[in-house]
Amino acid sequence: MTKTTTKINIGPVHPSTHGVLRLVVDLDGDTIKNLEAHVGFLHRGVEKLVETRMYMQCPPYMEKLDYVAPLAYDEAYVATVEAALGIEVKERAQYIRVIELELQRIASHLFFIGALCNDMGQMFTMFMWVFEDRDRVLALLEQATGQRMFYVNMRLGGVARDLPPGFDEDCQSLLGHIEKRLEVYGKYLESNPVFMERMKGVGILTAEEAKGLGVTGPVLRASNVDYDVRKARPYYAYRELNFNSQVLGGGDNLARYKVRILEIKESIRLIRGALKRMPEGDALGAQVRLIGPAAKNRIASVSRELPRGEGMMYMIADPQRPYRLSVRSPCFINLFALEHMAKEQRFADLFSIMGSLDLVMACVDR
Amino acid sequence: MKVNAEDIAQKAQEMRKSGFDYLVKITAIDYVQSITVIYFLRDIGGNRDDIIEADLDCKDAWVPTIIDIFPCADWYERELSEMFGIQIRGRAARRLLLEKWDGTEPPFRKSFAWNSEYKAEG
Repeated sequence: MTKTTTKINIGPVHPSTHGVLRLVVDLDGDTIKNLEAHVGFLHRGVEKLVETRMYMQCPPYMEKLDYVAPLAYDEAYVATVEAALGIEVKERAQYIRVIELELQRIASHLFFIGALCNDMGQMFTMFMWVFEDRDRVLALLEQATGQRMFYVNMRLGGVARDLPPGFDEDCQSLLGHIEKRLEVYGKYLESNPVFMERMKGVGILTAEEAKGLGVTGPVLRASNVDYDVRKARPYYAYRELNFNSQVLGGGDNLARYKVRILEIKESIRLIRGALKRMPEGDALGAQVRLIGPAAKNRIASVSRELPRGEGMMYMIADPQRPYRLSVRSPCFINLFALEHMAKEQRFADLFSIMGSLDLVMACVDR
Repeated sequence: MKVNAEDIAQKAQEMRKSGFDYLVKITAIDYVQSITVIYFLRDIGGNRDDIIEADLDCKDAWVPTIIDIFPCADWYERELSEMFGIQIRGRAARRLLLEKWDGTEPPFRKSFAWNSEYKAEG
């Protein structure tokens, strides 16, 4: 009797694919023999589009690359333009950027916990809980930037708005609240046998595999590879603030989840440190003008630790607009790794592995 | 560092041996007269970054595959091939992002008439 495999098609529209993604899986019984990801449904040609726009017309496009952490992409792009134009960021603005980026990381990681539990099958309680807390973070960001989701708050050399009066107290009280909630999440999830069974020892990625497959961010650090752009190539106030990159061994779903929990705690520490050391002075950047100063550096390359991993922007600058902008998306390469990680795993575990990668399809397809 | 297209794989292999164990990205730039392809490599332990750069002829743009050296080059090479029309020698690079698109002109080339592809009706 010859063994046959069954082909199963998932998506392109499926509640667990976090956007439009088609997976074709070859199954032998319950075991995945091969997985092929079909992407591109959300491809909007952003890299081409920006070639037709002036520099400061682009941040709104960049934010839509990752709608769960738009501010991070906004900052990465504006930093690339600053590098090309040779603009220094004001000292106070550097601290404000760090605070906003870390708040964005907390919001994004909270979303991850909810989406992961949702992917694992109707643990919707968790989804609702984190959404309530994430909403508080978004409300604070709205207080700081004027927008709830798409902030477009970065300006050349600074930010569009300085922090409002009373931000310090509101932020401290929110951070205290999140800390307490993290304990509740931990108790709820880590004592849940269903959650633990689908996390522990599932989707293991060794350090060598992780480097070879090029995975990045929390996925890489959960495989015991210590690389965090904020540490390796520090920028802004990360140079002065005291924090550690969070690295865990194990390389399984549980390690990827735990690294993000630890990162939320580290972000809280970072924000507290930044608030304490916040310098006085002007933080406002240049007003948006379509015709700006001409580029001084023809080539600008900027790496940033986005919530999903390392994002790199490589720009060839023309006097008024990008001649070419290449975006290194962390989700793109993490999804590629899924094709390898899913092999020989149980079909039922596919979505917990995928959930642990924290994908945003808009970021994959660009 | 700049090399000829045919030496890319060999150079990548040398750098892999000298500690560059992580491929950050492969990208290309269309300078109209030529296409430049860039490989961003990293030595994670030693915290070093380096690049391999090669200029390609627009009419006959090709690079050797490096998926045996860096497995993660797979999707980057597929993207390079469909977006810039760069042939990847040594492997079949199927389309990735534009699987169902029936156009033939590589969209990230400067010659791509992006504004005239779709016209609003009426």
